[in-house]
Amino acid sequence: MTAPPYDPMSDGTLQSDFVEQWRDAAYGCFSSGHKFCREVCPVMQVTRNENHTPTAFHANIVAMEQGNLTVADVADDYVHCTQCGACELRCPNTLFTGDFYRNRTRTVKVVKAMRALAVQSGIEQPGWKRWVEATIDAKSEPVLDVAVSQENVANWADGLGLPIGGETILFVDCEAAFYRTSVSRSTAQLLQMAGLEFGLMREQWCCGGPAAEMGYTDAARQLADHNVADWRSYGAKRIITLDPHDYISFTEDYVEYFGPDYEFEIVHITELVAELIREGRLTLTTPIERVVTYHDPCRLNKRKGIHASPREILRAIPGLEFRDVDHVTQWSYCSGAGAGLAIEKPEITAEISRRRVARAKELEVDTLVSACVWSERPLSAAGGEAGIDVRDLMELVAESAGLDPSGVHGAAGPQREVPA
Amino acid sequence: MTTLTPIRDGVVDELRAILGDEGVLTGKAARYNRTRVPAPFPVHRWAEYVPDLVVLPRTAEQVSEVVKLANRERIPVVPRAGGTGLNDGALPLKRGIVVDIKRMNQIKEVDLVDRTVTVGPGINMLKLNEELRRHGVMYPDDPASYPCSLVGGRIGTSGWSLIGGRYGHTRDLVISFQMVLPTGEIIEVGDGGGRKIRKSSTGFQLKHLFMGHQGTLGIVTEATLELVPRPEMEFAAFFHYPSFVAAWESTGALTKSGLASLGGVVLFDEHKLRYLRRDDEAYIPRPDHVRAVVATAMYGTRDEVEPAARRIMRIGRESGGTYLGDEISSGDWASRHDRYATPLHGRLRTGEVVPMSWHCEDASINYSQLPAVMEKWHAIADRYITTTGILDDWGMFCYTNGAYKPWGDYLVEIDIGIWEQKLSDANWPDWVACKREIAQVALDHGGSITACHGATREGDAELVPVEMGGGFDVMMKIKAALDPNNIMNPGKYELDRAYGLDEKVFR
Repeated sequence: MTAPPYDPMSDGTLQSDFVEQWRDAAYGCFSSGHKFCREVCPVMQVTRNENHTPTAFHANIVAMEQGNLTVADVADDYVHCTQCGACELRCPNTLFTGDFYRNRTRTVKVVKAMRALAVQSGIEQPGWKRWVEATIDAKSEPVLDVAVSQENVANWADGLGLPIGGETILFVDCEAAFYRTSVSRSTAQLLQMAGLEFGLMREQWCCGGPAAEMGYTDAARQLADHNVADWRSYGAKRIITLDPHDYISFTEDYVEYFGPDYEFEIVHITELVAELIREGRLTLTTPIERVVTYHDPCRLNKRKGIHASPREILRAIPGLEFRDVDHVTQWSYCSGAGAGLAIEKPEITAEISRRRVARAKELEVDTLVSACVWSERPLSAAGGEAGIDVRDLMELVAESAGLDPSGVHGAAGPQREVPA
Repeated sequence: MTTLTPIRDGVVDELRAILGDEGVLTGKAARYNRTRVPAPFPVHRWAEYVPDLVVLPRTAEQVSEVVKLANRERIPVVPRAGGTGLNDGALPLKRGIVVDIKRMNQIKEVDLVDRTVTVGPGINMLKLNEELRRHGVMYPDDPASYPCSLVGGRIGTSGWSLIGGRYGHTRDLVISFQMVLPTGEIIEVGDGGGRKIRKSSTGFQLKHLFMGHQGTLGIVTEATLELVPRPEMEFAAFFHYPSFVAAWESTGALTKSGLASLGGVVLFDEHKLRYLRRDDEAYIPRPDHVRAVVATAMYGTRDEVEPAARRIMRIGRESGGTYLGDEISSGDWASRHDRYATPLHGRLRTGEVVPMSWHCEDASINYSQLPAVMEKWHAIADRYITTTGILDDWGMFCYTNGAYKPWGDYLVEIDIGIWEQKLSDANWPDWVACKREIAQVALDHGGSITACHGATREGDAELVPVEMGGGFDVMMKIKAALDPNNIMNPGKYELDRAYGLDEKVFR
């Protein structure tokens, strides 16, 4: 993954095309300027720097149109975003008139597009560059400093006897495949218990979502092409995701890449497990004696509107005392793990997670339950400081179903460092 | 990020010594994004108003040191809180240093005994109330910008609150505050001495002097605010009428009811109803005979609000209103803040939809004058829509404006859409002339140019000396005495005249 060398002339052309494409959408925000988004933005809540506001992300494009700013002036600001989508939900343009005028605020897309423009213009963030290069190299993200490779991508499933291929495929996220294998083992065993037929991919590559989020569109597409070809080779019809980031990739990015021919039904694990419990195909009998609250993963709650099924599952677990915070209040919550922020700005991620865990602490719970394996790494670090256990929803469901999934709740050792 | 400030290196180094490296921003993006506010802005001249650098202080002492340095070097200083003003108070007309106080957002003390909360000026009211909720209290300063404006800006503009009829407006709710004066001294300003004292007659009433000055007299660095019990009950009732006059007469009856729980009354004129029908997706369709609307909202204990609600329903009906139903009443009221900002697009005379910015005049007008002012304002707007081709009339709201006594005068708002993408040196003067004519009507009818935004914009600012009369001379003397070097937000309110300068705001 090598970007073309920086060329101010070609940058001008790229930038003009970019401005042409995004200018009117940017004006939708610029002409309002009301900044209702600002105080729900997890990054802004930490940095309190107006450069990092969604408003600035749009206004910069207007300033570029006016010839006042270039991508080089603003590229670093766009690193400060988890692409959680809170700003879009809080935007009056989205809440009321946006759909009417078919001009809903799309800040996440703007951030992705600006990052792509930066990469195409040769302005790269060193951590992201190394991350994407390593991903292309190993076909999985370098979530650990060792053992991330195609040979090991299904090691998490050792002893489970999972077939390859079939109509229904369980796609196991890079983080869950290598770092927090307890999530993938719990999920697979729950599906087996419910009698669901499913298989793994012949060769599972990273979904490409993180590369797309960091602006490396070609790399993202390369990974996506492989995965779709793999699915098609054995006639897969349904893909189960256990990670919300994959769910976004498959329901948004892939739809854009492959157009109307994209034939797969994408199911998120919380929706499926809630259904299995409802239908009596999964019975939760082992009491879990914990006092918990639930962390709405941004990509489920804010981006995809999935907030009911995880709560339904939690309420089905015997012994659990569930102290809920509604999903709208959680628009302003985040773990800080998304869209590569943890790679380039780990201190901001850590502080966002610290604040999220502090909210949980106020509820006097002993456990914070998430349904996003990426969030669980920084949340666990913050939970360790605050004395709160961080668990994945599927881990608790598996326990309550009487399973002993084993696997690790986070591998030891240096965790975000990418081999140089 | 690479382009550095025009301010010389030695000064930048001194600022970094005061604020730390991460507290001084010299990059172009940082500066461009602190140039404008939501008020219509000559976007084609953006580059002319970009500040030289931005500082992000965390303490009053840092603000004080920055201001002292600026005095020594004669560099303008412009305070910026939320940057959500519908005036251009936070716009650096003469470049210089923007003091962005968003990092001063701590809650320093919640005093449930003497009922105060002390905060940094960078905190937002919604965020503050999220924290106060657990104590059963709230800070009821509730502007349209409730989810995003900051306490410091509310003081700098002397803000207005949607529920001020019950709880008072910003000046009634801010008990005292800490100020950095234009020469760098840090003082406490209140009604009298103690930080938590609401009423005093010791000395001059400095609290009012240091509110609404739009950053021309200093920078707030801490504020002590009123706490009120969270209301047990909220009741909203919307009525409709066959004409503006019928709705206006009913508004008079409703506001004079004497009900202490009445938070506010809002009158929608016929243009507003037409606009909502035409272009607001959220508008719930009503028959054509619905020509004007009055909204009322009450807050308080159940013992107050339940009987008062029955009374307000009776007055509304007896004065000619027809109840619009629970869905519109509670739903529209609950989403009022979001609805303020809905007109992000407008239409040209041809019907074409274009992205438009919201310009909102906010004159204070007595009740008796509302029909005449309404008629004149729409006539002005209509004329300029024809001549400029970049404007749209989104109708008017009249909001009760008096604290606790919501009957005498109104915040009167005409919402005008303006297609900022098309602004140029050719049509900017037309826009300014339109605003000036609107402001002049307010004065002609014994009103004030602005109820809460401030009047620093070109078009308004020239009329401030007219409205203030002899008071403007006092303003100039105070400004010159407190700010001998004209450091604080220079160019605003025609106050440059105090220094023998007579520069127009947007030339």
